[in-house]
Amino acid sequence: MNRRRFMTLTGSTLAMLGGGHAFAQGQPRLRIDPTEFQPVPIAITNFVPGSPSDGDVGNGVTQVITNNLKRSGLFAPIDQAAFIERISNIDVAPQFQNWKTINAQALVTGRMTRQPDGRLKAEFRLWDVVSGQQLAGQQYFTSPEYWRRIAHIISDQIYERMTGEKGYFDSRVVFVDETGPKERRVKRLAIMDQDGANVRYLTRGSDLVLTPRFSPNSQEITYMEFGQGDPKVYLYNIETGQREIVGNFPGMTFAPRFSPDGQRVIMSLQQGGNSNLFVMDLRSRSTTRLTDTPAIDTSPSYSPDGTRICFESDRGGRSQIYVMAAGGGAAQRISFSKDDTNATYSTPVWSPRGDYIAFTRQGGGQFSIGVMKPDGSGERLLTSGFHNEGPTFSPNGRVLMFFRDPGGNGGPSLYSVDISGRNELKVPTPGFASDPAWSPLLSSTSG
Amino acid sequence: MKVNIDKTLVASIALHVLVLGWGLVTFSSKAYIAPEESLPVDIISSDQLAKMMAGQKTGKKEEPKPKVEKIAEAKPEEDAVGKVTEKKELIKTNSTPEPPPKPVEKPVEKKPEPPKPVTEAKPKEEPKPQEKKPDPAKEDPIAELQKKLDTKKPPPKPVEQKVAAVQPQQQPKPKERTFDPAQIQRDLDKRATTRHELTGSALNASASLGAATGTAVANVATWRGAFQGAVKRCFTPTYNGQDADQYEADIDIPMKIDGSLAAEPIVVAVRGPSRSIAQAVAESAKRAIVQCQVYSFMPKQQYESWKLIPMTFGLKDML
Repeated sequence: MNRRRFMTLTGSTLAMLGGGHAFAQGQPRLRIDPTEFQPVPIAITNFVPGSPSDGDVGNGVTQVITNNLKRSGLFAPIDQAAFIERISNIDVAPQFQNWKTINAQALVTGRMTRQPDGRLKAEFRLWDVVSGQQLAGQQYFTSPEYWRRIAHIISDQIYERMTGEKGYFDSRVVFVDETGPKERRVKRLAIMDQDGANVRYLTRGSDLVLTPRFSPNSQEITYMEFGQGDPKVYLYNIETGQREIVGNFPGMTFAPRFSPDGQRVIMSLQQGGNSNLFVMDLRSRSTTRLTDTPAIDTSPSYSPDGTRICFESDRGGRSQIYVMAAGGGAAQRISFSKDDTNATYSTPVWSPRGDYIAFTRQGGGQFSIGVMKPDGSGERLLTSGFHNEGPTFSPNGRVLMFFRDPGGNGGPSLYSVDISGRNELKVPTPGFASDPAWSPLLSSTSG
Repeated sequence: MKVNIDKTLVASIALHVLVLGWGLVTFSSKAYIAPEESLPVDIISSDQLAKMMAGQKTGKKEEPKPKVEKIAEAKPEEDAVGKVTEKKELIKTNSTPEPPPKPVEKPVEKKPEPPKPVTEAKPKEEPKPQEKKPDPAKEDPIAELQKKLDTKKPPPKPVEQKVAAVQPQQQPKPKERTFDPAQIQRDLDKRATTRHELTGSALNASASLGAATGTAVANVATWRGAFQGAVKRCFTPTYNGQDADQYEADIDIPMKIDGSLAAEPIVVAVRGPSRSIAQAVAESAKRAIVQCQVYSFMPKQQYESWKLIPMTFGLKDML
C-alpha cells in the first residue's frame, strides 16, 4: 500500500467516523402518524366504600364513569373480570405491573365515604400506568342524591386530563318526549342527564311543544308551544317551573335560541307568507328586526362569540344556510352541495367551539346530519338515512346529538355521533324522543 | 555452566504474550457482537423487500436502471425461478472443461460502461484492480470467493460465461452426476453470484440501488422503520377531532444500548391550535414510547446513530 493510498483510506475512515457522529447529532426526526384511531385502554376499579353501607353508591359511581368514558368512543374500559389486583386502599400506590399486564394505560381508583353530617365524600385518583405517575386526584362533597352528578364530574376530569379537551358528561339534554299512537301523539318537554338518566318532564303534554333550547346558564329553556291561538315562543325556568311568553307579536313566533350571553333571544316571526328574524332583549323587551326579505328565514343560531348568526333561508329558491352579522345586514350563502344541486340545508347550529356549523341536509331521498366550516368549506356528512334531523352540539363541540325517525308506525329516537362520524350511539330515552338540545357544561356554569 | 538470561528478553516475551492474549480475547468478543446486525424480517413490508431485492445496498443511488448483464432473449427471468435455472447451468459449466466463449455475450459486455459504473458504485470498498473485471464479482464478496476457487480463471469474463450458459444449456445437466466435494462448494458459492445475473432489454453492468423508484437506500437503515413500527403499535392518541392534522409533538428519546430507555422521553415541542390537546398528544406519545420498550432489536453496532432518537408524533391521518 503506497503512502498516498494509505492517506486516502485513513482520510476516508476518519470522514466516515465524523460523518457518523454528525448523523447522530443532526439526524432527521422519525415521524409517526397513526392511521387508525384506537380508544385508550383504561381500568376503572370499583370505588372503595368508606363503610359497608357505601358499597352500592361506590359501585354506581364506577358504573357511571365507565359508561361515560366508553360511550365517548375515546376510551376502552377494561372488563373488571380481567383485573389482577384488587384496590382496597386508594392512598397506596397500585402495583402498576399488574395493570400493565392487562394492557391498561390509565387506572382510576376512588373511594366513597359517608360523612358524619350525612354528605357524601367522593375521592378519585387517575394514574398513568406506564409511567406510574398520578395524573389527577380530587375529592368532592355532595348530598347523597347527587352521586350521579359527582360521577359525571369525575368523568369530565378524567376525560380532560387524558385528552386535553373539556369534557361533556356533566351536562343535560332537553328534548321532546313523544308517547301514544302516531295520529294522537302526546309531546312533552323533558330533561335528562346526557346519558339518559334522571328524566324529568317539564310540561304535561296538553299542548304541543317544539324546538326547546337551553340558556347559557342552563337554568332556562326557550321553546315554541302551540297553545290557544298562534304558536308562541316561551321561556321556562327549570328551577321554579315558571314560564312566560317571549314578546307579544301579532303572528306566529318560532325557532327561538338564546344569544351566547343569555341576554337576548333570537327567533322567527311569521309575517304573511314570509318569516323574518328578530332578536329580543330580555331585559328591555325591545325587539330588533334582522332580516326583511320575501322569503322564509328561520332557525337562527349565534356564533359562540355572538358576532355572527347562521340561519336557513329559501331566499334563493331552496332552503340553504346563510351567515350574516349578528346585527343584520348582508347574508352570505355557505351551503353548496357538490353532488346534488337539488339538496336543501336546514337547522344550522353553530358549534360551541366556533369551528363548525352542523346542519340537516335533505337530498337524494335521504336526510343527513353533517358539519361544515363557517365559510362553507369542509362539508362532511356524518350520518344519513330515512329521516335524521335537528343536530345539537355537546358542550365541548366534539359530539352531535340528533333525532332519527325510521318511518312506519314507530317514532323518533335520539342518537349521538362523534363529529368525525364515528361512534354513533342511541341515547336511551323512556319513549320516543325528538328535538334534542344539549346544555352547556353544568359544572362550568354553576360555579 | 552459567546460563546468561537476558532479563529484558524475558520481559519482552512476557509482554508480547500478554498483548497477544489480550488481543485474542478482545477480538473474539467483538466478533461475537457482529451477528446482531440483522433485524426482524416481519417488520419489512413485502413492497419494501421487493424493492430492496431489485438492487444492491452498495449500489449507486443515482443509477436509474436496474443492473443488467445480459440482454434478455426469450423471457425476462428476474425472479427466483430464473435464478435457480441459472445456478444449475453454472454447475455444469464448471464441471465440464470450459464452455466456449459465447460470441453473443462478449460483444455485449465489452460495449457497456461497466468499468465506470462499478467504480462509482463502490469507490470506497475496492480500488482499481477489480474495475477491469466484471462488476458482479466486486459487488458480492461471495462471488469473489467463488472466482478465486475457480482456478481456471478464463481471461474474459467468467461470470458472463455462466450467464451465457444459463439459457442454452439446460439439457446436459442430468448426465454428470459424479460426486465432487469441490464442486458442491462451488455450487453453494455460486448461488449468490447468480442472483446478480439479470437480463433486460439494455445492458447496464453497474449495480443500481434498487429499482429506479426503489427505496433500497431507506431500507438500509432498517432500525428506523422497526423502531417506528414498534412505537406506533403502542401510540393511541386520545384525539381525533377537528384540525387533528395540525397537532404534533416533537420528542427526543434517550436510549441505552440494550434498547431500553436511558431516561424519560423529552418533549421538545408541541404544536396545535389547542395547547392542552397538543400536550395530551405528547403524553400519549410518551406513554407509547415507554410502554413499548425494550427495543431489543436495535443494532448495537450502530448504537451511536440511535443513542438519541428524535421523533415527531402527529395525527395527520386520523380524520
